Amino acid sequence: MHSDSASINMSHNLHGTFVSEKINKIRWRPGGIQSLNLFVTGSIDNEKNTIKLWDFCENDEENDIYPFTISSYMYDGDVADIQFINQDYFACASSSGSVHLMNIAVQSSGDMLLNNYMEWDKIHYFNNGEASCCTALAIYENDLVSVGEDGRINVLTAQSKNVIRSIDDADSCSLGCVLFLKHNEILTSNLRGQMKIWDLRSQTNTPTKTFMLSGDQVTPTCLIFHPTQRHLVIAGDELGAITTWDLRQNTFPVNVLNAHEGSINEIHFHPDHPDQLFSCSSAGEIWHWSTKNKHQSFMGLEDSDVNVWLAPDNVKNKLEVFTLMPTLGKSINTLDLNKNKVICGCANEAIYLINGINL
Amino acid sequence: MSQDDAKIFLIPNELCRRAGLGATWKPLNQFAVFPHERRTVRQKDIPSNFASTAQSSVFLVQHSIILYHPILRKLVNESSGTFLTVQSTVSSKSSEFKGEILKLSRQYRSIIRACLENLQDEIGKNNITNSERDELRDYITIFYSIECIWHLCEILFIDVIPGNIVLPYLLDWVRFHFPKHERNAALLISGDVTSLELHEDYWPTVFGNFLQGRIKIVRTLLRQNSAFGSSVFQLVDEVLKTMPTYNVINSISINEFNLQWKHWTTDIQLKIDAKQFITNHNLNLLMRLIVGEEEAWAEIQSHCETWYEFLAGWLFYTEPSVKSFELGQFAKLSIRKMRIKDHMKHLDRVLLAAMEFDLFEVIKEIQHMTENGWFVCHLADILHHSGSLSVLEKEVENFTSENLRESFLLDYGTILMGHSSLWEVGLNYLDYCQNIGLQAVELLLPRIPFSTETKAHKLIREARNRELHSVAQSICKIQGTRSLKRGRVGNALTWALKSQDGPFTSYLADLVLKKYIENGELNSTDLLDNLGSCMLASDRLIFLGKYNEFHKLYQAGEYKECGHLLISLLASKIVPKYFWSVLLSEAIPLLESEELVFSANDTYTIQHCLEEKEAIPQLADKISILRLAAARNLSRALMFEAQLAQ
Amino acid sequence: MSEFEIQEIEVNHRNLIQKVAFDQCGSRMATCSNDRFVKVWDKNSDGDWTLTSSWKAHSASVWKVTWAHPEFGHVLATCSFDRTAAVWEEIVGDMPGPRQRGTRHWVGRTHLVDSRTSVTDVKFGPKAQGLLLATCSAEGIIRIYEAPDVMNLSQWTLQHEVQCKLPLSCLTWNPSLSRLHPAMIAVGSDDTNMNIGGKVFVYEYSENSRKWIKLETISNITEPVHDIEFAPNLGRSLHILAVASNKDVKILTLSPVEDDQVAQSGLTKLDIQTVGQFDDHGGTVWRVCWNVTGTLLTSTGDDGCVRMFKMHGINLWKPVAALKGDGTHVPTAAEAARSSQAAQTARYIKLGSIQPNRELRH
Repeated sequence: MHSDSASINMSHNLHGTFVSEKINKIRWRPGGIQSLNLFVTGSIDNEKNTIKLWDFCENDEENDIYPFTISSYMYDGDVADIQFINQDYFACASSSGSVHLMNIAVQSSGDMLLNNYMEWDKIHYFNNGEASCCTALAIYENDLVSVGEDGRINVLTAQSKNVIRSIDDADSCSLGCVLFLKHNEILTSNLRGQMKIWDLRSQTNTPTKTFMLSGDQVTPTCLIFHPTQRHLVIAGDELGAITTWDLRQNTFPVNVLNAHEGSINEIHFHPDHPDQLFSCSSAGEIWHWSTKNKHQSFMGLEDSDVNVWLAPDNVKNKLEVFTLMPTLGKSINTLDLNKNKVICGCANEAIYLINGINL
Repeated sequence: MSQDDAKIFLIPNELCRRAGLGATWKPLNQFAVFPHERRTVRQKDIPSNFASTAQSSVFLVQHSIILYHPILRKLVNESSGTFLTVQSTVSSKSSEFKGEILKLSRQYRSIIRACLENLQDEIGKNNITNSERDELRDYITIFYSIECIWHLCEILFIDVIPGNIVLPYLLDWVRFHFPKHERNAALLISGDVTSLELHEDYWPTVFGNFLQGRIKIVRTLLRQNSAFGSSVFQLVDEVLKTMPTYNVINSISINEFNLQWKHWTTDIQLKIDAKQFITNHNLNLLMRLIVGEEEAWAEIQSHCETWYEFLAGWLFYTEPSVKSFELGQFAKLSIRKMRIKDHMKHLDRVLLAAMEFDLFEVIKEIQHMTENGWFVCHLADILHHSGSLSVLEKEVENFTSENLRESFLLDYGTILMGHSSLWEVGLNYLDYCQNIGLQAVELLLPRIPFSTETKAHKLIREARNRELHSVAQSICKIQGTRSLKRGRVGNALTWALKSQDGPFTSYLADLVLKKYIENGELNSTDLLDNLGSCMLASDRLIFLGKYNEFHKLYQAGEYKECGHLLISLLASKIVPKYFWSVLLSEAIPLLESEELVFSANDTYTIQHCLEEKEAIPQLADKISILRLAAARNLSRALMFEAQLAQ
Repeated sequence: MSEFEIQEIEVNHRNLIQKVAFDQCGSRMATCSNDRFVKVWDKNSDGDWTLTSSWKAHSASVWKVTWAHPEFGHVLATCSFDRTAAVWEEIVGDMPGPRQRGTRHWVGRTHLVDSRTSVTDVKFGPKAQGLLLATCSAEGIIRIYEAPDVMNLSQWTLQHEVQCKLPLSCLTWNPSLSRLHPAMIAVGSDDTNMNIGGKVFVYEYSENSRKWIKLETISNITEPVHDIEFAPNLGRSLHILAVASNKDVKILTLSPVEDDQVAQSGLTKLDIQTVGQFDDHGGTVWRVCWNVTGTLLTSTGDDGCVRMFKMHGINLWKPVAALKGDGTHVPTAAEAARSSQAAQTARYIKLGSIQPNRELRH
């Protein structure tokens, strides 16, 4: 997909704010109405990085919306991943090899404060004692799984300080992404694009299935599943391609889409509109993928669930792609969705809010 | 004391003072200074006079980079966006070029103003220390001056002034930077206006606005004076009402305007001579100022904070059609009149140089502004693109505007490259140095430390985007070496393959094979199972990959396939010398298996190998078994093949 | 010129430091001293420098210490008054306990004992040439060693020995040559006899004859030379060399000349010009050191100062700042808190400055 075929959807507005740090992960706070504007960021590349909780301030007369920090927490290492467990708790992965469970606490004064509720200290490490980056987290209810450059998989739970299970040398290469396929089944990807499915009930430390992203050594950079069809897994990789699998069927990709110029940093399906996908890349592209002719039903097919992403080969024809923001030439490191708002962090040390996207 | 003499900075250390200093550069923008005494080989190797008594330290020295402050950091990021837009505007070569560049210059200034606002807000907070507040005030002073200078440079060097009639622009500039008179007028008028003239700010505000040519405001203020009804006030109001104005819109020619102005001022002079304003000293002064009376202008100096306020006012009334290139001489005049020639501050010097169109001096002075080169870099860039710098090329030998601009971009870009996060922004500036940018990136990119693979990937991508493939490969190799030190052979192999380093790949493959010989376990099988075409990077790796396959086939019981593979390996040239004995030993179970694995030809191959390799010591105890097994297999195979033939 | 700030690292060598060297990214520091020790320091995640290793490297003063390219791992080379040079590699031991850092120590991989006199300088060659090490000695011999197998640092072969007619004090590789161009080295002599000609020699490796050939003697430098360094190259076709001598700091350009003679012999011919000459130290200059882009030069000398010179053009260099020790000390955090001058965080403190005056110049 070339960017000249992506049109700019002008029916939304864009607000940018410089925040003096590079945001690596940005996440809306999930939950009810009172959370509508709150989001959390984790920074990278600073001498001292931070995790911050933000809110938006709307200045209607100037049509200006800008975020401001409610609470800030100094973090040891780069923030490699942030995943919310529920409205008040989220987990962070650090380049120091630790995982932290953070809490959004409301104090007696009514102010909100970020605090470090619990941590699993340096659970990723190399055998010579050097720290290993914890690269990704996955959450299923109260359970967490972390993976790192040490090739280790750690199974954790929010209820315990102890590591429930640690699979050392799960992979001879660095692990980059992880996701829960089912409560007891996870999928990991490594530096070479080798994907492994693990059954967490099994006592053996070997994967149940192994397959490759592609024939060449291509590093997958993000891994997600479809909101309603968990067997549909999508990976974005360092060459800007999007690969889809239907793991119900087999482990060969259903289709591969050459999408972005740069490496794909994050992909998200819209939780409320699962036929819409959002992706951002190191080339500064941030795109909204939508199925064309959404309301037209697929003739003759009784399965209204037929997902366009599962269609082999002619996926391109079934999708419209919109550019949400003109590229600034700097990487969009992270993005997240909340109803009709998209928020993203850019390598120019700014946060952008894109309001009113067409869903 | 000239600015050119190098300033001396003091290292607070006794040992350094007594012994002397040594220095080493530290990547990227620091250097280490330490107490050092030169010793030569001719001296005896005994402890120096400075041994053991004093504690020795190394001092890491760096420039104070104010741009790293969180508030100024926003300026760095935002202005880099504008910088990129300038470059793309230049390359788009549109017909609206001049207008675009002017817009971008204004954008830079509005970024500076936003920064000043942020700094002011921060000062107002009550959770900062006094020294922090002082620091912020320093920044405000610096950037306020920057915006002031930039604005004037924009007027004189970037904007296109019709007919070079610069006064309206000059007035705009002064009004912008001395807003207090307009503010005070608004305050006065919005408050209780009875007997306004008794207010202590009244006449200063009148004069202040008068000097900025804000005649309407002056008239409004005068109207509020309780004496407005008197004839002298009425007369002044009438005079001011009939003041001729020049603007491009009402299209009277400059000559016509000059005539009107002459008329008007002559008329006022007559009135002054007739002592018509004598009853009110202030009003009389106003009128005397209009006609350019020296004493009047001497008297008014106390109302001017700076010589350029004075200059603007004086020009407005005495040289309203002044051309931009005439500004210099009038500027010097104002300075002389205000007697500050020997007390000129840095800002004064820059503004004077600008008005004298001495761009060289302007740029030289700007470099001393202690904001780490932000100003000179961006201003020189935009001046270069608007063509203003090329004038200097005739004046100075060996000078090109391009080289000057690039030297500033290099300095600024290098500073940013030294910051853990802003290095990505620094790259942008180096990218737009045609002559030296790419080489600078090639020198600087490898100096950026990385401790995670994510960062390694980012650096590699930046190198590859600029076709700096050797830098990319080097980073891959470094990460591979690190992985090896951490005991992560599989990961090291992956990076060795990414760096396309054949010898390193072979070395790692050797490691895996040697470890197998030691403990019987093949490491990183998940990687070896899926090498794919990467295998071709080195012969040793091909062997390792094939050997792994051999193992898998054996474990799966596919003995025939296993055998074929073994034969092809034996016949190939890629078996490592130290591995022959292992490989041949593994032929034994296959030779002896119930199922016939090897054909007669295969067996000849094995026997041939045995002959060749019989000298290998490790094979010593196995060679007889092998010979026997091979012989037995040969007979079985020959019989089998004979039967087939029948 | 904007303000400077400093961070103090207490290194506690029992004698004066001879050299400080940083690795490629500036995150590791090695110091060597007259006390015969080498120390290695690392910057931790809080930004503090901590000592990770300290060992007695030689049996006499250690003159120089230098890092190899990180592609080869963590490798140092040292040279000493004890007539040897050595190559060291860092080994991380087994973990003493779960998640504790293994002990790190440096092992000597090889000791190069070919010299009969003090080895005065040691430098790794540009990595494009492989893993090469050059030493120079007081007897005037340049020795070029190579590790044929870069994964095995115990094996070094002496590839070349080049006899210069004068005792040598310093050596520098030209970093700017790619694999396509022959390697180039410049050496300097601190011989005190002023009547025996130039004290800086430029050598080039000739592929044709497989030998190092002397290209030039820089004859206008007749004073004893104590340090010499080629500048990093920003893509220029000419080379820049800084020389520290008894008299001054000199910056020279060496421009390759194209003519028939060159084409025939295969050897480079150089046109050498002095583009900067500074006697600001008022006496002997001991050391010169270039920054990463080759646009700033620091020098240190008899006046006890560090002086900096900036490039304003290939042919125009100007002094921009100087540093010298004074008798005060860096305030501790407590002292800084008491004083109203505490403008910085405890780690970095601003340097006071004075305007230059005549007095300092001798």
